[in-house]
Amino acid sequence: MSAGSSSRLPRNCPSRREALLATLMLAVAVTSAFPLVWMVLSSLKTPAESMQVPPVWIPRAPSLDAYEKVSGVVNVGRSMWNSLVIASITTAGILVTSMMAGYAFAKYHFPGRSLLFSVLIATMFLPPIVTLIPLYRLVGSIGLNASLAGIIVPNLANAFGIFLMRQFISGVPDDLIDAARMDGASELLILYKIVAPSVAPAIAALALFAFVYHWNSYLWPLTVLQGNADAYPIVISLSRLLSYNRGAVNTGLVMAGATLAVLPPLILFVLLQRFFVDSIVGSAIKG
Amino acid sequence: MIQRYRASAGIMLAPAVTLIGIFILLPMLLTIWLSFQDWSTQTPFSSASFIGLDNFREIFGPTSVGRDFKGALTNTVIYTALSVILILPLSVAFGLMVYQHDVAGGTALRTVLFSTYMVPMIAVALVWSKLYSPSEGPLNQMLGLFGIGPQPWLSSPRSALISIVFLNVWQQVGYFTVLAIAGLTQISGSLYEAAKLDGASRFEQFRFITLPLMRRTLLFSAVIAIINAVQVFEPVALITQGGPVGSTNVLTYHIRRVGIERAQGGLGSAMAVMLMLSLIVVVCALFALANRKDVE
Repeated sequence: MSAGSSSRLPRNCPSRREALLATLMLAVAVTSAFPLVWMVLSSLKTPAESMQVPPVWIPRAPSLDAYEKVSGVVNVGRSMWNSLVIASITTAGILVTSMMAGYAFAKYHFPGRSLLFSVLIATMFLPPIVTLIPLYRLVGSIGLNASLAGIIVPNLANAFGIFLMRQFISGVPDDLIDAARMDGASELLILYKIVAPSVAPAIAALALFAFVYHWNSYLWPLTVLQGNADAYPIVISLSRLLSYNRGAVNTGLVMAGATLAVLPPLILFVLLQRFFVDSIVGSAIKG
Repeated sequence: MIQRYRASAGIMLAPAVTLIGIFILLPMLLTIWLSFQDWSTQTPFSSASFIGLDNFREIFGPTSVGRDFKGALTNTVIYTALSVILILPLSVAFGLMVYQHDVAGGTALRTVLFSTYMVPMIAVALVWSKLYSPSEGPLNQMLGLFGIGPQPWLSSPRSALISIVFLNVWQQVGYFTVLAIAGLTQISGSLYEAAKLDGASRFEQFRFITLPLMRRTLLFSAVIAIINAVQVFEPVALITQGGPVGSTNVLTYHIRRVGIERAQGGLGSAMAVMLMLSLIVVVCALFALANRKDVE
């Protein structure tokens, strides 16, 4: 399908229409960005400025004091490290299991293939709460509760990753794979040396999704950790700040904490957005 | 050759299938089994004793267990319906803005909209509970500029649930906008050219080309939006704890409270089974509706 400029809606009255559209788009962008911009601005205010009436929107003398104060309430370093460990290991596991299974579903013919694929894909639509109660007991019974491993291990494979990898690996030419087989390469080597480089943008997109999802994830870590604060990821330790949210005096402190939680996923998104867009456009064109 | 690849298939599939089998499929089956058992979450599975449909009778019964569950079910239905009703039209409108516009602003708008989807819910909760603050919150201050009196937002049972819907729409609409854009790119430009030659207005082009050809995308978006909406947990756990007076007590929050915190594993599992059944019914109904229109 033509995905270029030719497929866009024709314009009949460019200048007025575009001015109206630009205004609307600006309004949408401002509304969407407002909460996060306000968060960052508030984190740079002094307590006095936070309490001022009428409100000060832009701090006159931006200060980082609030960020220092967050470290007094929450063990930021430890929690950030926990989050990094959880999100990195989980992402690495998802990449490996998804590529292997995606390759099998894309390039092998075996009995029961479509049935197995359907069963796995169905789990994509299962809300986590449906499995939470027995999973909590199950992970406890293998001795992984209240630990980082308990957060990580159940999430090392997921249907979304398998689905995404199968979609993209299907597009890798069979000739390429067969040629490597002729040369005597093992299947794992082919996956690593031939297939993976061909679907690199999709791998980057999956890595971005998985990392951000598991950096942000809350329900499962909260449940499995049973209050073991040493293993808290940043999104759980920061919930302490909610009790500081009454009255305006601590607004800066609370918003500094919120900003700290937002930065890692947002930086990653900005850096990897290109890959993400590539893979969306790629899948749309392959249709 | 075939034999060799069959063995390879087994090796390639083993890690993912084992993990998903143990940590998703097995717990799902256990949930169904536990819904017919009297079982405390603090005891091994072996201590469960079969009680037939008693759990289901209790969660739909007249006691406080039944009242709370039916309240949570109702709240979840309202929450889900409102989310879908707001997200789908907005995502198409924003998608058209990004896609139609020929200047660079489209990409920037998509980036801004999608970036909120990357924000962890704890930050959303911290920021929005402040934005919504009745006395010093920026939202009421801005409404004041337009002469609108302060709103109670999260502090009134009448407006707390819809306030959480707004917060979720703000966070998720960018994701659905990207889905809408992907759907729009699939529509051939020649259709619009032909319609224009026939003198179709912009609205007619949207009504008779864009909307019908977006149906599959919209169906997919609706299914994802519903599944996301029934999962809402963090804003409730972090900000309202189900209140005021149970008005934001949604199913995911309620099931976790019953099944984990109160350790009533059998009751919680019965609630989870009802959630799963309701989802299956709703999603099947959506697909049936879409297919019926296909035939017409």
